[in-house]
Amino acid sequence: MSAVLSVSDLHVRYPLHAGITGLTKRRPAYVDVVHGVSLEINRGETVAIVGESGSGKTTLAMAICGLAPVHGGEVRIDGRKLERDRNHRLNPDRKRVALMFQDPVGSLSPRMTIRKILAEPFLIHKVLGKNPQTEALRLLSLVGLGEEIADRYPHQLSGGQARRVGVARALALGPDILIADEPTAGLDVSIQGEVLNLLTGLQQDMGLGIMIITHNLNIVRHVADQMAIMYLGRFLEQGDAQQVFDKARHPYTAALLSANPSHDPDARPNRIELLGEVPSLLQRPKGCEFHTRCPRAETLCKESFPEANQSQAKQVFNCHFPLD
Amino acid sequence: MNPPVLDIHNLSVDYQTELGPLHALRDVSLLVPEGKIIGIVGESGCGKSTLISTIIRLLAANARIVDGKILFKGDDLLGMGVDQMRALRGDEISMVFQDPMTSLNPVLPIGRQMSDVQHRGKASAAERKTRSVMMLERVGIPDPETQLTRYPHHLSGGMRQRVAIAMALMTEPSLLIADEPTTALDATLEVQIIHRLEQLQRDFGCSILFISHHLGVIAELCHEVVVMYAGEVVECGPTREVFLNPRHPYTRKLLECDPARIAARTKDLPVIEGGLPDLVKLPEGCIFRDRCDQSVARCATERPRLSGAGHTVACHAVVCHPVVCNLAEHPE
Repeated sequence: MSAVLSVSDLHVRYPLHAGITGLTKRRPAYVDVVHGVSLEINRGETVAIVGESGSGKTTLAMAICGLAPVHGGEVRIDGRKLERDRNHRLNPDRKRVALMFQDPVGSLSPRMTIRKILAEPFLIHKVLGKNPQTEALRLLSLVGLGEEIADRYPHQLSGGQARRVGVARALALGPDILIADEPTAGLDVSIQGEVLNLLTGLQQDMGLGIMIITHNLNIVRHVADQMAIMYLGRFLEQGDAQQVFDKARHPYTAALLSANPSHDPDARPNRIELLGEVPSLLQRPKGCEFHTRCPRAETLCKESFPEANQSQAKQVFNCHFPLD
Repeated sequence: MNPPVLDIHNLSVDYQTELGPLHALRDVSLLVPEGKIIGIVGESGCGKSTLISTIIRLLAANARIVDGKILFKGDDLLGMGVDQMRALRGDEISMVFQDPMTSLNPVLPIGRQMSDVQHRGKASAAERKTRSVMMLERVGIPDPETQLTRYPHHLSGGMRQRVAIAMALMTEPSLLIADEPTTALDATLEVQIIHRLEQLQRDFGCSILFISHHLGVIAELCHEVVVMYAGEVVECGPTREVFLNPRHPYTRKLLECDPARIAARTKDLPVIEGGLPDLVKLPEGCIFRDRCDQSVARCATERPRLSGAGHTVACHAVVCHPVVCNLAEHPE
C-alpha cells in the first residue's frame, strides 16, 4: 500500500532580513525552521508529531499544505508532487489535505456566521453539483453540532464547539488527510476526550489519515499509531508509537517521556533532567543538534550529525550513542 | 498563631447580563494557610478566573459581589479602598499569568520591566539592577546580565515564564497566584517550571494558589486541592487523599477522564456526558445532578453543603453510601 501523503527531506527556510536590508546584504542570512523531514501517512492511520514549542511542528504542517515556502525536498499526495503552476496556483490535489488550525476561535472569521464559514470552501474551489448551504448543515451534523449553531458567530461558541466547527470546515471537501495542529490545547480533560473521540470516529468512517501535532504525551499514547519526535526542525526519532513509548532509543525522547507529570501523587518518577536551554535556530549547533543538552554526549556528537539508525521494526533514530 | 494568608468565606459573585444575574460563584469558601501550595481544578466556566479576579479585586464592571468575605492575613480585602488595594497588588499579592508573551511588555527590554516592578522601594537604579540579576539567577536563567537588555521575543517560552515568575517574586509576596502558568509550555519545560516554583516557595516561604486543569501538575505540586464545578466548591482536601480517594462523583469522573490514568491504550476516551447547567436559571438542588450517576431523591430538592473534616465534600450520595476508603492500600 502506498502512502497518501509522503514528505521527503523537506526543508523550510526563511530569510532573516526582509525588505531593503534583505536586498542590500551581500550574503543573505537564513534560518532553517524545518531541516530535512521525511514522513509518510497512510489512510486510516494517525501520526503524532511531538516536540517543544519552536521545534518547527506547525511550520511542517503549513509546508505540507503549501502555506509555508518549501526550500528543498518535496511533498507528494498520492504520488503526485504538490507544487505551484505558472499562475502561482497550487495543484488540485492540495484540497485532499486539510488543516485544522491551532487557535480554534482565531482561525474562524469573526464577521461570518458558521453557516457561511462552512459554505466557503465549496465556493472557493467551485465545487459543482453540491449546494453549499445544505452541505454546511450536513457538516454540522457530522461533527455532532445542532443546526442552531449555523447562524451564530464564532465568538458565541465555546472552546469545544469552535474546535468542532474547525473539524467540520477541514472535512468540507472530503480530504484524505487531516492535519490537526494542537487540537486539544486549552481544553478540559472531558472536552478533550470528546474532540479526540470525534476525530477517531470520523477516521473510522471515512478512512482519514490524521497527523496530530501536540505536546500532550498522554493523548499521543492513546490515539497515535506512529509518532515522530521533533527537535530544532528535525525528527530525532520516529516509529510505531507503542514501541517508542516502551523503548525510546534517543536520549531526547527518553527525557521527554520521563518528564510527563504523573497523575499519581505518590509517584516519584525517575526524571532525566535536561541541562541548559534549547539552542536558537540562528545558531544551530554543529554535529548533533541535541549535544548541548544531552546527558550522553561525547566529542563525536559535536562533530558529526548521526546518520539515521534503524532498529528492527522500523524505529528510526538519529543518535551516535542510542539507549538500549 | 498567624492568621491564614487567605481565608475566603461564603463568597458569591454575580455578573449582570441581559438575561438577568448570572451566578458565577456561589458560597465559595477556601483557606490558604501560610507556606502551602493550594491547587484549584475545574473545567473552563467553573469560576476559577472569577475567583482570582475577585481576590485581586480586578473584576469586570458588570460583576457584583453579593456576599462573603475575603480575609488576607486577617484584613478584609473586600472592604479596602482603591489605594489600599493597589498597595497590596504586586507587593503582598502577586500573580503569574497563563501566557508569558502577553503578560510581558513586548516593546521594553526585560531589564527595564524588572526594575519598573521595584518602583515602590527606594533602591537606586544600580541596586535594582543587581536585584534583577539576582532574581533571574534564582529562577535559573543563564547569563542573567546580558538577558536584561533583551526583549521578550528573544526569549523562549520557558524562559519568558521564568522571567514572569522572577518578576512576581521580586517583592517577596506572601501570596502568589499562578493562573495556569504551564499551559503554554511542553512537558520538559512544564516540569522545570513546577520544580522551580516548588523550590522558590520553600526558599521564600510564600503561599501559592495554583490554578490548572492539568491534573498531573496539581498532583505533583500542590499540598491541597480544591475541586470546583459550575461556581461551587464540590470537594476539598489534601491532594493525596483527593486523588487516591475522590469522594464527589464529579471529581471521580474528572479523574477518570484524564488520559494519563488509563493504562491500556484506547481510542475511545471517557467523557463526562452532558454540559454545564445554566447559571442564570440555577437548577434546584445539587448543581451536578443532571450529569451524576449516583443521584438520590434528596439531590433534586436540597443543595448539598461541604461536610467532613480535613477532606470535605458536598454530596448527598456520599453521606448515604460512604465510599470505602482505599487509603490502606497506599500506606504513607
